[in-house]
Parts: sequence; structure tokens; C-alpha cells
Amino acid sequence: MSDLHWMTVGAAARAIAAKELSPVDLTRALLDRIERLDPKLNAFICVDGEAAMAAALAAETEAQSGRLRGPLHGVPVGIKDIIDVAGLPTTCHSKVRQDHMASADAVCVEKLRGAGAIVLGKLSTHEFAIGGPSFDLPWPPARNPWNTDHHPGGSSSGSGSGVAAGLFPMALGTDTGGSVRNPASCCGIVGLKPTYGLVSRRGVFPLSFTLDHIGPMTRTVADNALMLQAIAGHDPLDPGSAVASQGHYAAALDGGIRGLRVGFVRHFHETDTPAHPEVTAALEHVARSLQVEGAEVRTITLPTLGEFGAVNRVILQSEAWSIHGPWLGERPGDYGKLGRQRLMAGAFMSAGDYMLASRRRLQMIAEVEAALREVDVLLCASSMDPACRIEDTAEVERTYPRQARTPFNVTGHPALAMMAGLSIGGMPVSVQFVGRYFDEATVFRVARAWERVAGTDKKHPPIV
Amino acid sequence: MDKDTIEVLARRAGLARALAEFPEDVTVAAKQAADVAQKIRRPADPAAEPWPPMKAGTTL
Repeated sequence: MSDLHWMTVGAAARAIAAKELSPVDLTRALLDRIERLDPKLNAFICVDGEAAMAAALAAETEAQSGRLRGPLHGVPVGIKDIIDVAGLPTTCHSKVRQDHMASADAVCVEKLRGAGAIVLGKLSTHEFAIGGPSFDLPWPPARNPWNTDHHPGGSSSGSGSGVAAGLFPMALGTDTGGSVRNPASCCGIVGLKPTYGLVSRRGVFPLSFTLDHIGPMTRTVADNALMLQAIAGHDPLDPGSAVASQGHYAAALDGGIRGLRVGFVRHFHETDTPAHPEVTAALEHVARSLQVEGAEVRTITLPTLGEFGAVNRVILQSEAWSIHGPWLGERPGDYGKLGRQRLMAGAFMSAGDYMLASRRRLQMIAEVEAALREVDVLLCASSMDPACRIEDTAEVERTYPRQARTPFNVTGHPALAMMAGLSIGGMPVSVQFVGRYFDEATVFRVARAWERVAGTDKKHPPIV
Repeated sequence: MDKDTIEVLARRAGLARALAEFPEDVTVAAKQAADVAQKIRRPADPAAEPWPPMKAGTTL
């Protein structure tokens, strides 16, 4: 079997179940690729090759005797390094946590292992999942496999880079202001921020309690649904966990979108934060393609991106300060410059600011809910620009906030970002689909319709 | 936010060390926070509640 590194999660799991593929061969092939390519990509903070090979051997023995743990049996996965994996440090890509050691798996990791997945190691992030690519941390920042001179987005930067580069077919990311969907957009893969509370946060280092989400990152929509199926579900020990029943996320994946009502939030990229012309053209192309597939597309208006962004920042930085305040007071030099600046901002927010943002948040939720009574799904921009060069600090600073992801951290609706095309410069441009609470299935159905039309699942970066 | 106000607020928040070692970063952080709340529309209804809404949990 050739090109094991481009195998989808679904194809690999099916081949392993049919005894046509050995988990040992798959894991070894990916570890070889990691050894060869990761020095250029810096997707990993820690490769746990020995444990991965031992797990692969166990998975092979089980598969040979017809015992499959679950739908991900024998398939490798990468874990963002703010998520606990038993026996490995959760560094959060920071000197502050360099000596940490996790004693247990986070719930989402435990569920992945329960479904049969094999943990390859821990992945790069922006420090504590905030800020941007930094060169003053104990590990270098991840790079974009479409062009290693460019950034891969973040904060789940190693997750995005590694999935796109074929180092692993799936990864876990986290998303507080867009951190699953930014690297998905920059690296041309599929990243989902599920409904708030659908995936347990227990065992994940918090950034902002009311905005944090854990989400799947994959190369295809079907794989994303498969991975969500494994990690979703109520956790009575996570105070933010929803009691809603789990959906069947892949059930209607190829059902088509005839008659579906799509609300196109044009003002996000036309007037609020005017997008790069190639992004605008790609979004229009997606909208036209969905119409051709039978969807009804109409324009929808929501609060402005500027206001959504302000609400997100006040809440995020206030909550993050409540976590980092003591460390920033005692050992500010152990943070990188960007993380230090972003995390100290919460010290200057007032209780009044936080309550104002929280009250406006409930109104914004009502406004998005009203829109989603008129349409079945929203279509909007994710990033307003293709990823720029990682060492161009001014351009990174200019383009990072130019995005439309934070609205759905504020409201908690499920939101998926994926490739909309490639720029003239060969970098991915992106689109975002947003659904009703716990209706990830419809989000996946629309995303799959676009993927089928555009063939985005067949587009891989030219890295060998 | 002027320099004196930043220093007072930083010390009150326990950032004396950061202020001594990274004064520029403290200023950047304060300026990030200074005007952000002004971009948020104040709810006209005094009874507008925050999110998450108040509700009695099973542990109350």
C-alpha cells in the first residue's frame, strides 16, 4: 500500500478492520515521515514513538484476532500540548510548564484511545493557546507545509501543520477565539469548533472557561465527523458539559443540500473587515456552488465583527488573567513576549467591563439564534487573508485579528472552517460554515457538499 | 490610560516585578485593555442578564 501518509482516518480504519493494513506499518510509516519532515515543520513538541509503536503492536494483535476497540482502531492521532496525555508533560509550549507531568489522560484523549486511536505525541501551540508565532519560547513555532516560510495559523499550529503535511491523519485542537479554525484555514484542512459543552474540557489547560472548546482537525469532512463521534458526550465532572444527547454526525453526510437554506454573512468580509480579494472571490464561488447544488442562499446580517471581537477579548482576557495572574506576578520572565503582553491585559479589565461583555453576549446569542431560525446554516469568512510569512512580525500582527471566528466562540454555535481554494501564491484560502446548537450533522452535510464539488480533500501541500 | 494610572493598576494587580523588568509589555497590555470595552454596545434594558443565565444547579 503506497502513500500511507495521505490515507484518511476512515480508509485506514476500514483497512485495519479488514486485516488489509497493519497498524504497525501505518504507525512506522508516519513516524518515519515525522523524523524526515518535522525538523522543517516543528509540529511536535514531543514525539512518543516508543509508546506509539507499543500501542500499534497491541492494536495489530487485537485486529488479527477480530477484536476492534472502536471506529478509530489502530489510527494515529496528534494531541495539542495543552491537553493532558498520561505520562507526558503538558507544557502549553511555555517555560512556565516545562517541568509539568500529566498523571492521567484528558477525557477527550481517553475517549480517542477508547475508540482505538494511537497517540503519536504532543503538538506545538501558541504559548498557552494565546498570542501568535513566537521565537522566544523553549520550542520553535510550527510552520506551514504549503510554504515553510509562512505561518500555519494558531493556536493549534502543530495540529494544523501536521495534519496538512501527512504526519498524522487527525489531531486534537482547542478553540477559544478561533484556534482550531485558524490553522485549519491557513493549512487547508478541516477544523471544527463543536457546540460549547459538547466535548469535555476536563484535562485541558484552560484559557477562558466560558469560551474554550476542544475540536477535531482532519483532512476530510467525513474524518472530522468520525473523530467528533469519538470525543463528544456528556461529562458530569466538567461543569460546562452539556447534557444534550450525542448526534450521529456522519449520518447525512452525503445526503446533498437540495432545499437547504444558507445565510451568507457578507458584511463580515465586505464591510466589517474587508477581505483580501482572493478570499472574497473564493467565498462567492462557494456560495454559487452551493446554489448549483440546490441550496437557497440569502444574505444575513449579524452584529459587527468589531463588537463580537471586543466581547470575546474582554471575556477571554479577564478569565485568562484569573488563571495566569499569580504566575505573571512572580515569574513574568518565564513567558514569551507575546503571551506576556496578551495575558497581562486582563489585569487592566474592570469587573464592569466583564459584566458588560457578558450581558451583551447573551443578546448576541439571541441575534444569532434568530438568524438560525430563518436559515439552516450560515456561510461566512474564516480568515480574511492567506497566511503570511512567519518572520514578518508586522504582517502577522496585521492579519491575525482579521478573521470571523470569534463570533461563534462568543455564542457557542458549532463552526467549521475548511479550504475554499488556493491563492495565486499557492496558499490556502478558507470558508466557514456555522450551524444551530448541537446540529453539527447539518454543518458537516454542507461542508461535505462543498468538498465534493471542489475536491478540497484531494489537495495536499507540495511537501515530500 | 496615562503612565501613572498604568503603574498604579499594575502594582494593584501584583505586577510590580513585570513593571520593573518588562515596562514596555505592561504598557502594551494596558493599552490593549483600555479601549476595548468601549466598542461594546451597552444593553438598553437594565434587566438584560449576563451569559450564562442564572439558574439553580443540582448542587445548590
